[in-house]
Amino acid sequence: MREVRYSVSVFILSALMLAVSCGKTEVPTPDVQAVAAERITLDANDAVWTNVPVHASRLILQDLVEPRLMEASTQEVRVKAITNGGQIAFRLEWADPSQNDLPSPKMFMDAAAVQLPIKIEASAPAPQMGEMGKTVQISYWRADWQAIVDGRADEIKALHPNASVDHYPFQARPLDKDPEAKARAEFRYSPARALGNSRSGPREKPVEDLIAEGPGTLTPNPAGASNGKGIRTADGWAIVLTRPVPEGLSLTQPTQIAFAVWEGSHGETGARKMRTGWVNLLMK
Amino acid sequence: MARVNNWQLGREMSYWYPEARPQKQFAAVFDTNKCIACQTCTLACKTTWTSGKGQEYMLWNNVETKPYGFYPLAWDLNLLEMLGGQEWDETGERPVYQGSTIFESAPAGERVLGWRPEDQDYSYPNVGEDDCAGQVDGGASLAASHDMAWFYYLARICNHCTYPACLASCPRGSIYKRPEDGIVLVDQGRCRGYQECVRGCPYKKVFYNAMTGTSEKCIACFPKMETGIQPQCFVNCIGKIRMAGYLNTPENAREDNPLDYLVHIKKVALPLFPQFGLEPNVYYIPPVHVPTSFTSQMFGPGVGKAIETYRSAATDSDLAGLLGLFGSSERVMTRWRRIGETVTGLDDDGNVLVNVPLKEPVHIRPAYDKLYQVTRSNCP
Repeated sequence: MREVRYSVSVFILSALMLAVSCGKTEVPTPDVQAVAAERITLDANDAVWTNVPVHASRLILQDLVEPRLMEASTQEVRVKAITNGGQIAFRLEWADPSQNDLPSPKMFMDAAAVQLPIKIEASAPAPQMGEMGKTVQISYWRADWQAIVDGRADEIKALHPNASVDHYPFQARPLDKDPEAKARAEFRYSPARALGNSRSGPREKPVEDLIAEGPGTLTPNPAGASNGKGIRTADGWAIVLTRPVPEGLSLTQPTQIAFAVWEGSHGETGARKMRTGWVNLLMK
Repeated sequence: MARVNNWQLGREMSYWYPEARPQKQFAAVFDTNKCIACQTCTLACKTTWTSGKGQEYMLWNNVETKPYGFYPLAWDLNLLEMLGGQEWDETGERPVYQGSTIFESAPAGERVLGWRPEDQDYSYPNVGEDDCAGQVDGGASLAASHDMAWFYYLARICNHCTYPACLASCPRGSIYKRPEDGIVLVDQGRCRGYQECVRGCPYKKVFYNAMTGTSEKCIACFPKMETGIQPQCFVNCIGKIRMAGYLNTPENAREDNPLDYLVHIKKVALPLFPQFGLEPNVYYIPPVHVPTSFTSQMFGPGVGKAIETYRSAATDSDLAGLLGLFGSSERVMTRWRRIGETVTGLDDDGNVLVNVPLKEPVHIRPAYDKLYQVTRSNCP
């Protein structure tokens, strides 16, 4: 009997090792388990992720508010998490054959987000963007911001190589003598930037911190300290989102986490998205 | 959805928000018969508002040659096809729309019936404008594929609708209609560039700026309107086809309000595609030379009577006088009057802004100038 048990154990151990070594054949966990790590990385290919358990989260349609998707697209996002006690990093990976990072009319960007309640409470906020008095915090990554951070110029020619621009008023030669006046003039011709809209570039990181208290209430959160980096994989995206460990999360106190993915080629933007329900986030 | 009154349809309709009319409504009348498509309006707007990065393709004001000029491509045809054939009941005193608006036809999961133009749809503003279709034996001539010997120019800005589809489409309330003057604006601080407004606006007058990641639109030059001056595309119009002001609802129409007089009393100026259901606030005097089978689809069932009225201006001194006020002052003329041969534009306080003669004096210069002892010929 002991031999049989030993053989079974060896088999399970072998299966787990095989799963780990083959990446996607890992046995998914029902929760997101944040594993202690010595360092936090933005690199989705870093060896630190190798033995971290993966959670496979099924994506479902946003179905609370219009406008919404009527046809499902991305089916699943695979999530790993590590923490060094101060910071927590999430590695999200999903299949997406098309890379959508060139903004234009009717062109939408690949994107993903991680959502957490701002407070750990017995009853979690509504999973779709929280609810009044029960705020959620969101770290949102977008493919075109990644391209800008990776070096794409903040110029129309970077989006349309054959574009021809004669002249912008803020590039008038007399303004060359006064860089401050030039900067002011450029702002005047870019109202969203002048108002400090966090959607408007140029960007230093591909991630935006947000809070919400229900659909339609999404608001930038300047106090947020998320960062991230996304890379293309053989069949989609792998991104890492980092942020401070949620307040109150500990070895004995789990919290909730939810994910969303936008498939640009499917016209997904805003409320037109694939999302998960709440999943437990545990410290390991 | 709420139930709201749309007087252009002659009935109530469904809209995303309850009826909330502004204290006064920015509105305008364009006389299509006077437009020569010089595009001065287009450039006046372009140089004032859309010279920034990401705005290169934007024309908040454009002029297109109907029936086959568009900006963006097929903006009207696409939605008309989606909406399908619709009917008006014209048996009563006022026509009543029997069909569905874009709000009432919204498919599952959507707030309005709409579509999004692609990049290249903006790449050919007014494609085919006044072009000959090819070489014709015997010299150049116009070969129109619609087999009808007519076209006309349609100048377009945002309609600052009473029931804006852009506003209804925005899932985060980034678009608002100003209660003080009804001007519809995109809050550039709040917009997150979902392009739902671009999809929803049937007139395609909201534009996505890829460099700022937000959507932008005509602002009716509100800094000018707030000081009583008409927008750039109005004051720069060399054909003097436009008049900006404020429009009341039909039951509150005033004879001394120029726009009320043209829209409600004379009914000579009509909304653009009223059947979409937005209660647009730019009104057009329809072209007199175009078959009403075409223009009635574009301007609604009042086209025949509007043309009849417009033609009667030759014997209607009030109508002729008011049309003469178009382009006579850069100030917003909220009141007007005609006394004898003089037509006057006034502001709300009764201050005279401009006087114009009912008939422009005509001076025929003799061919021989005795003073300078030269002969001049008038150009043909």
